[in-house]
Amino acid sequence: MKNQNVLVIGSGVAGMEASLVLADAGLKVHLVEKDSLIGGQTIKFEEVYPNMECATCMLAPKQQEVLQHDNITLYLLSEVKKTEGSLGEFKVQIEKKARYVSLINCIGCGACYDPCPVSLDNEFEEGMSQKKAIYVACPGALPNAPAIDPENCVRLNGKKKDCNACEEACGFDAIDFTEKDETVNLDVGAIIVATGFDQFDVSSLPEFGYGKHPNVYTAMEFERLYAQNGPTSGKLTLREDKPIKSAGIIHCMGREEKGYCSGVCCMYSMKFAHFIKDKAPEAKIHEFHTDLCIPGKSHQKFYDGLKNKIEFTRYEDIEVKGKNGNLEISYTNNGKKNSIKPDMVILSPAMVPSAGTENLAKILGISQDSMGFFSTQDQNLSPIDSEKEGIFVIGCAEGPKDIPESVSQAEAAAGRVLSFLQ
Amino acid sequence: MEKKFKPNIVGFLCNWCSYAGADLAGSSKTDVDSSLSVIRVMCSSRVNSNLVLSSLLWGSDGVLVAGCHPGDCHYEQGNYYARRRFALLKKITEVLNLEPDRIQLSWISASEGKRYAEVVNKFADDISKLGPNPITSNPKV
Amino acid sequence: MNKNIGVYVCECGPNIPERIDIDKVVKELSSLNEVKTVKKHSLLCSNDGKKFLKEEIEKEELSHVVVAACSPKDHENTFMKVCEEAGMNPYLFQLVNIREQCAWMIPDKEEATSKALKYIKAGIHRVMYHDPLEKKELEIKVDVLVIGGGISGIEASLSLAGPNRKVHLVEKTDSLGGMAGKLSQILPHQGSKIKLVKEKIEQAKNNENINIYTSSEVKEVRGFLGNFEAVIQSNQENEEGKVEEIKAGAVVVATGFDLYDLKENPAYGYGENENIVSALEFEDMINSEKIELKNGKKPKSVALVHCAGRKEKGYCSKVCCLYNLKFAHYLKDNLPDVEVKELYMDLCLPHKQDQSYFDQAKEKGVEFIRMDEIVKTKKSGDKIEVEYKNNDKTDKLSVDMVVIAPAMIPSKDTSELAELMNLPLDKSGFFKELHEMLDPVATPMEGVYITGCALGPRNIPESMTQSHATSGKILSSLIPGRKVKPEVKVSEIKEDLCTGCQTCLSVCFYGAISYDPFKGVSVVNEAICRGCGSCVGSCPSGAIRSKHFTYYQLYQEVMEALR
Repeated sequence: MKNQNVLVIGSGVAGMEASLVLADAGLKVHLVEKDSLIGGQTIKFEEVYPNMECATCMLAPKQQEVLQHDNITLYLLSEVKKTEGSLGEFKVQIEKKARYVSLINCIGCGACYDPCPVSLDNEFEEGMSQKKAIYVACPGALPNAPAIDPENCVRLNGKKKDCNACEEACGFDAIDFTEKDETVNLDVGAIIVATGFDQFDVSSLPEFGYGKHPNVYTAMEFERLYAQNGPTSGKLTLREDKPIKSAGIIHCMGREEKGYCSGVCCMYSMKFAHFIKDKAPEAKIHEFHTDLCIPGKSHQKFYDGLKNKIEFTRYEDIEVKGKNGNLEISYTNNGKKNSIKPDMVILSPAMVPSAGTENLAKILGISQDSMGFFSTQDQNLSPIDSEKEGIFVIGCAEGPKDIPESVSQAEAAAGRVLSFLQ
Repeated sequence: MEKKFKPNIVGFLCNWCSYAGADLAGSSKTDVDSSLSVIRVMCSSRVNSNLVLSSLLWGSDGVLVAGCHPGDCHYEQGNYYARRRFALLKKITEVLNLEPDRIQLSWISASEGKRYAEVVNKFADDISKLGPNPITSNPKV
Repeated sequence: MNKNIGVYVCECGPNIPERIDIDKVVKELSSLNEVKTVKKHSLLCSNDGKKFLKEEIEKEELSHVVVAACSPKDHENTFMKVCEEAGMNPYLFQLVNIREQCAWMIPDKEEATSKALKYIKAGIHRVMYHDPLEKKELEIKVDVLVIGGGISGIEASLSLAGPNRKVHLVEKTDSLGGMAGKLSQILPHQGSKIKLVKEKIEQAKNNENINIYTSSEVKEVRGFLGNFEAVIQSNQENEEGKVEEIKAGAVVVATGFDLYDLKENPAYGYGENENIVSALEFEDMINSEKIELKNGKKPKSVALVHCAGRKEKGYCSKVCCLYNLKFAHYLKDNLPDVEVKELYMDLCLPHKQDQSYFDQAKEKGVEFIRMDEIVKTKKSGDKIEVEYKNNDKTDKLSVDMVVIAPAMIPSKDTSELAELMNLPLDKSGFFKELHEMLDPVATPMEGVYITGCALGPRNIPESMTQSHATSGKILSSLIPGRKVKPEVKVSEIKEDLCTGCQTCLSVCFYGAISYDPFKGVSVVNEAICRGCGSCVGSCPSGAIRSKHFTYYQLYQEVMEALR
C-alpha cells in the first residue's frame, strides 16, 4: 500500500483514536462525521463506569488534538456517498453539507443564538431541551461553533427570506447563507468504519409505557438528565420538577427482540443507581435484571460496592403500568409476582446498528451480519477486518462493546494499516 | 459608610479539569465572584505547601486549590497527593493562628462550569465573612 | 538579555470590549516601564491578526510576548506558532485569559477591567521569568521486545516484525502457544480456523525478523521510549544462565494468565475424585477425543460448573460461560445421549454472536440451572453429587462427571515482572492500564505496552485486537529514521539542594525519577517525565523545579493577584 491517506468514518471515541494514532504516524487522515460536532455518543456521558471518570474531561484533550492535528482533515456534516477500488487505491466521494457558519471566522461566542426566531427540539438532548435553528449541540461541544439547520432556518427554507437575525448579531462575519453543499473526491489507501450505534427504540415495547408516562426515561435521556452540561444542568428531577424519591431501572430492554446481550447495559444501569444515590442519598433504587453481565477484572467490584445500597432483583417477567401519573412496575421473580411503585423508571435498551449502517454497507460493498451490524471476516484471526481487504470496522459499528474495547479496536485498525505500510 | 470588604483570593486550578471547568463557566456566561485570581498549574499536585503558605503570608485572604475529581487525574494520582498535603496544610494554618477555612481544596471537572461558579462564589462569601487575613491586616504580626 | 516585551490585547470582536474597557487597559499598561509596546487588535487569531502579530514581533524586535485574549485551550498553540515563525522562542510567550475567565464571568465592567489588568500584569511579570526552553530530539531504536509467547505475544510479534524492524520474542517455557495452544478448539462462532494457534506459531518461527528465545526470561529492563536495554537469560539445559543483552525501542508485555487453584475451595471437590475435572483437563480429553470416566465408560451425565473462584476473586472472568457452552455443544454432538447440566451464576454473553450460541445449546437439550454457590461436590456411589444453593434453597444433582471452570488469575510472575519494570498492578493483581478507558494497552512507562490476559480476563479475539493495538501504538511512535521529541515542560532537580530523601521517586507515577547512589541525589529522566509537577509539590527541600511552572513564575502571578 503506497497511498498514505486513510479515510475514517465517524468521529466517536473509536474514530478519533484511530485518526490520532495514524496521524501521529505521519499518515494523512480524512475524518468524516455526519454531525456538526465530534466526540460521538461518549461525550453525552457525564461520567463513565467503573471509575466514574468525567467523560468530558477525558475526551476534551482528544477532541482538541483531533481539531488541531496537522495530519487530520475533518469533514463535518458529511457523509460518504460512493467508494470504489481496493486496498491501497480506494476512490471515495464525500458529500459535505453546508454549515452556513465559517469555522475560521466563528469564535464560538454564542451571540447568534438568542436572536434566532426558530425554536426546535434538541435531539442531542433527546428532545429534553430546545435549540435554535442556529445551534451548538450542548455547551462545550467541539468544534466550538454553531451550525445552521437549513430545514428549519426561516431564511434558508424560504419562509422568511429577509431574516438575518444571526448574521446581524455576529461580530465576526462568520455567517454565510450562500455556502453550498460540496462534493469532495479523495484517494485513500484504507478505510476505517467507526459509525457507532443507536439505541433500541423502547417505544416499540408498549408494555413499558415509554412515551405514555412522562417519568419513564430511556438510558440516554437519563445520561443527559444527569449531565452538568445537559438540559437541567445536572439537576436530577422528575419531569414535573420534583425530586426523585424512588426509581426502578430495568435492564435488557430489547435483548429478546434483538437476540443478543449488549454487554454494557448492566454496568451503566448500575452507574445510574450510583448517580441517583450520589445526588439523592435517601432515594430507594431497584435494579431489575436478568443475568448480570459484568465481565472483566473491575466491574464486579462496582456491583459489590452497590449491593448493600440498592435492591437487585432478577426478573422473569416485567412490565410498567401507570395511572394518574403514578407508576407501577410489576414483575415475577422466582415464579412469584410482586410490584413496586417508583417515581421514575429508567429503561436500559440494547445497542443496535446505527441508522445509516445498511446504506453505508452498500456503499462500501461489505456485508452486514444477521443483527445488522457490519460483519467482520473471522473473529479470531482478525476481528476488525471486513471481508474487503483494506476496510476495517471498529467500535460499536462492529457490535455492542464498551469504551476500552472500542479504543483497542481503533488502535488495532491503525496497527493493521501501519503494518501494511511497513 | 464603610466599604464592604472584598477579599483577595488566589486560586490554583489544574489545567485539565478545573481550569477547563472555569472556562466552561465563562463560555456559559455564568457570573463568578471576581475576588478570585486564577493561576493555572498542570496538576493540583504541583501546588506545594510553600505556594499556599506564601500566598497567605503575603496577604491573600484565602487560597483555593482545585483539581480533577479523585480517580480522574490526568496524571493518574496527582490529586491524591494534593489531598494529603492539604490535610497537613490545614494543621499548619492553625499554628499560624489562621482560620483553616482560609484554604480550600475542591474537585471541579471540565464539565462542571456551574459548579466552578458555585465553589468560587461560596468560597469568596465564606472568606468575606472571615474578614481580612489577620497577618496582613494587623501590622504587629 | 535585554527584554523587549510586547503586549497585545485582543478584542475578540465585540466579546471582550463589551465587558472590558480595552482602551483603559492599553493606556494603563503603556505606562509600565517593563513593556516596550502595547497594542490592541480586533481579532488576533484571524489570519490578519496572526500576520499583524508576526510583523509586530519582527518590527519591534520583541524578545517576549504577552497576548491577552481567550483561554489557552483555544489559542495558546496558535500564538506559540506565530512566535516561532517570527523567530522567537515560543516559550517566551504567555497567553492571558481575559475572555472566558474575565469578560465572560464578571458582569460589572469596572470590575472586569481591573481584573483583566491584574491578569495581564501577572502575565507580563511571569513572562519575564520564562526560560527559552528548547525542544530536544532523541535518536531511537525501532526494534521491539515482546515478553510472553502466547497467542497475544505471537500476534503482536507478527504484526510488528518487518524489513526494518526486528522483534525479540521471549518465552519462559520451552514452546510457543501459551494457554491458547492447549485448547482443543476455539469457539466455532468466532472463527473457522481450528488450527489458528499452530499456524501462528509456524508463521512466527518462519519470520526472519522475529528472534525467538524459548526457555528464557527477561531479567532486566531499563530505559525509555526509543531506548530500552534488556537482559535475557536462558534457562535451556545446555546453556543455562547464558545472558544476552538486547536493545529495543519498545516493550510489549504479554504474559497471560493462570487459573484459579480449585483446591482452594473444598466445595468444588477437586482432587477428591477423578471424575471431577478442571476445564483445562476436559480440553485435553477433547484433544485426545476420549471423553471417558475413570472406569473407561462414557459418561451418561455431565455437570458443567461455571464461576469457580468468581466469588473468591471478586470478578467475572468473561470467557468461562462461552467455553462451557463449547463443551456442552461438543458433548451433545459426540455423545448424543449424554445429559448436560450447566450450573451458572450469571450467564455472561457480552458479544453479539454469543447469545445464539447459547440458544443453540438450549435447543440441543442442555439444561441450564442457576445457582448462587456450590455447597459441596462429593462422590456418592458411582455418581458425583453436586449440592448448590439457589435463592437460599439448597438443591442437589447427581452426575457421572463434573467439569469445573476456574477463574482466570494473574500469571505467577506478574508481580515480579511489575517490580522489575516499575509497572503498577490493579486491585485484582493484573497489570494496570495507563488509562482503563482511553489508553487500554499503554502503561505509565511510555514505550511499554501490555496486551491480552496480562491485563485481565478476555477472550482470544480481544487479545488479538489488543496485540494489533500495541503494534498500532508502536508503529505510530517508532518510525525508522524519525526522532522522538519528549515533553519540554518537565521537572529538573538541583543537585546542590537535593538531600537524596527520594520522596519524589515514590510520587512519580511514570517512573521518571531515579536515585543516583554515587552523587546521593535524585535524577529526572526528561525523556520520561510528563511534567505534572507532583515531585515539585512533594520535595521537602525545594530542589525540584518544574520548567514553565517554576516557583518564580507562579510567585509573580500570586503577587500580582494580591496587589
